[in-house]
Amino acid sequence: MKKRQQAFCHTRSFWMFVIPSLALFGVFFLLPLGLSIWFSFTNYDGWKTMEFIGLKNYRDILTNGDFYKTVWRTIVYTVCNLPFKIAIPLLLAALVTSKSLRGTTLVRTLVYIPVLFSALVAGITINWMFGQEYGLINYLLQKIGVDPLQWSLNPVLATVVISVASNWISAGYYMLLYVGGINNISKELYEAASVDGAKKTQAFFRITLPLLMPTTFIVLLLSTVNLLKEYALVQGISLGGPGSSTTYIVQYIFDQGFNQYRYGYASAAGVIISILFIVIAMVQFRATKGGGEV
Amino acid sequence: MKKMFQKAAAGGMAVVMAMSLAACGGSSGKDGGEAAQQGGASADGPITGQTLQVMISEEPGEGDALGNALKQWSQETGNEIKQIIISHDDMRSKFPSMAKNKDMPDLVATTFLHQLYPEEFVDMSGVVDLSKFNQSALKIVGKSYSSEAITGIPDQFTTTCMFYNKDAFAAAGIEAPTVDKPWTWDQLYDNAKVIQEKGNVKYGFAADVSRARYDILMYANGGSLVEQDGDSFKVTVNSPANIATLTRFVQANNEVMPKAIWAGGTTDNPVEYFKNGDAGILLSGSWNYNTFASDISKFEFGVMPTPKGSAGQSAIIGGEALAIPANGKNVELAKQFVQWLFEPEHYAEFLQIRKEPSVMNDITYTPDTDKAKEEFAIMQNETNYVTDTFMVDENSSWRNYKDNEYRDSLKRAVSGEITPEDALNGFADALSQSSGWAKGY
Repeated sequence: MKKRQQAFCHTRSFWMFVIPSLALFGVFFLLPLGLSIWFSFTNYDGWKTMEFIGLKNYRDILTNGDFYKTVWRTIVYTVCNLPFKIAIPLLLAALVTSKSLRGTTLVRTLVYIPVLFSALVAGITINWMFGQEYGLINYLLQKIGVDPLQWSLNPVLATVVISVASNWISAGYYMLLYVGGINNISKELYEAASVDGAKKTQAFFRITLPLLMPTTFIVLLLSTVNLLKEYALVQGISLGGPGSSTTYIVQYIFDQGFNQYRYGYASAAGVIISILFIVIAMVQFRATKGGGEV
Repeated sequence: MKKMFQKAAAGGMAVVMAMSLAACGGSSGKDGGEAAQQGGASADGPITGQTLQVMISEEPGEGDALGNALKQWSQETGNEIKQIIISHDDMRSKFPSMAKNKDMPDLVATTFLHQLYPEEFVDMSGVVDLSKFNQSALKIVGKSYSSEAITGIPDQFTTTCMFYNKDAFAAAGIEAPTVDKPWTWDQLYDNAKVIQEKGNVKYGFAADVSRARYDILMYANGGSLVEQDGDSFKVTVNSPANIATLTRFVQANNEVMPKAIWAGGTTDNPVEYFKNGDAGILLSGSWNYNTFASDISKFEFGVMPTPKGSAGQSAIIGGEALAIPANGKNVELAKQFVQWLFEPEHYAEFLQIRKEPSVMNDITYTPDTDKAKEEFAIMQNETNYVTDTFMVDENSSWRNYKDNEYRDSLKRAVSGEITPEDALNGFADALSQSSGWAKGY
């Protein structure tokens, strides 16, 4: 009887702690998700018009060339940036955990600071730095006798600026993940390797890197998702231009929904993209075995 | 002890959640109560002792004519003013939610809400005598997109116009056009090239990134977005004349304009280029005049008439209107303020602070200097160049169907991503599909 009462109390406590989170999750995630799926079958304009139109939005999206171009652009942007999202934080983490370097705490702090910035604020700052006419970088280039670069006109340069900004703002966070991973590797392994005559680079590639695979998997997954849904940074830097050359999928969905009042269409695009993202994440899980196997 | 702590924690959490829910849900009820309790409302005399909630789009700056008028009215009538600032862009997304939640301000100063959502606003024909106003201004700035109802009274009346850098013109040996002898658009592009080469400016010509500025070129060359087709309209934005105009504009961007601006890769403001002395000619609007007069000291600037196209000159007028939400808490109070503002003596005072073309017949702004008087005369004259094609486009309310896509199409053409023909054909398809109007080309 006492045991049953104890079990009941535990269960009740469990639910009392879980229910607030569950309620928030339901209100801010499940409900919008359900609404979004429902809107995707309507011509909802955000206000008064909302008629059921079946699969029309999906048909329109899947026959829209701009949608495919935007998805392809997003995937290319993601794939091109992923190596940097992993390599730069890993290198920084290896450096700041090195015993032979001084001032690593300061470097850690400096690298982490951009993580605290709002992506939009960071984007606007980068926009100011890379402004074509009055930007700092072009000013400095001109000072040393180099012609100003067309950051705002050349699609490749505009993408490079966004990529640099994206890596700059996220490197600190991923570096911390790697620092945690490196600190968890047993020192004895390095000592044993040292006794066996292994050089530091060999130890890094043969010990550090393989044992960081679970961390790398997390960084890979988070980076992929964040790159696929890059939005605020792009809004701050290029507004998707020149033309539509830096318009990625979230900009496209946002523009359709909030600028063109095609909430139904935007919701359908959101559903399709969510499925695509889930597939990509599943492939990553499969390919890396969840980072669990070295 | 442990149980007590669990119970206390759970109880505390429940209280906090209940309080936060109460705080969220209770606000409207409280406001309503306050509104009902506020005294002084009378069907016979002026309303006193209430609070007028006014929604504006930007932080009031120097020369805040509306703010000054509100303050004066508040002192005269004993009512309070509460200003809510929501940017133009945010108004667009937030207003529908405000309407849904019946959480409307009493008065809105807006450039489009009253036209886009006329059913949410009071018909102004019952508030003021509309015959006292400039009819073009009422039609363009005050009228609903979907009906003949005047849902806003313009408190700001502006026209597109062209500014030029007198020093750059002098250095390039170019004489500015006059109202009697305006340039053609081809002359403007040619002269801009000379100014860019010899006038000590980076760019010969710059234009605001606004489809309304670009459309001046289109109307001047006889083009339009739509044409009347019986009771309906047909889409003509991709006419050969329009494709030629856009092609020439793209060329001008490559030769004499800061291309990055119209290509959409930067948020740089061409007005700043002009103010910094980097652009010789600027296509913008009368709303910049006072800022230029106070801010530009590096060179002398002037106002010149808009060039002629194959069909003549063109201008687009616009502005901001005062509109009264029909579901506001103090509709009568808002009406009282609007009536007060447009009494001749109050409007004349308002206009002297606003320093812009007048929206009321028989009342005009009188600038202090001869230079300003001459230049205001040029700007006032620009309002005569509003074309019939522009009026037809406005009457069609095409922006109800597609809006930003038009500017985006223009940007993609300027950036070189697509051809001018593809840009306009694509937009014509999209507009035709959304509106149900047939395509003319």
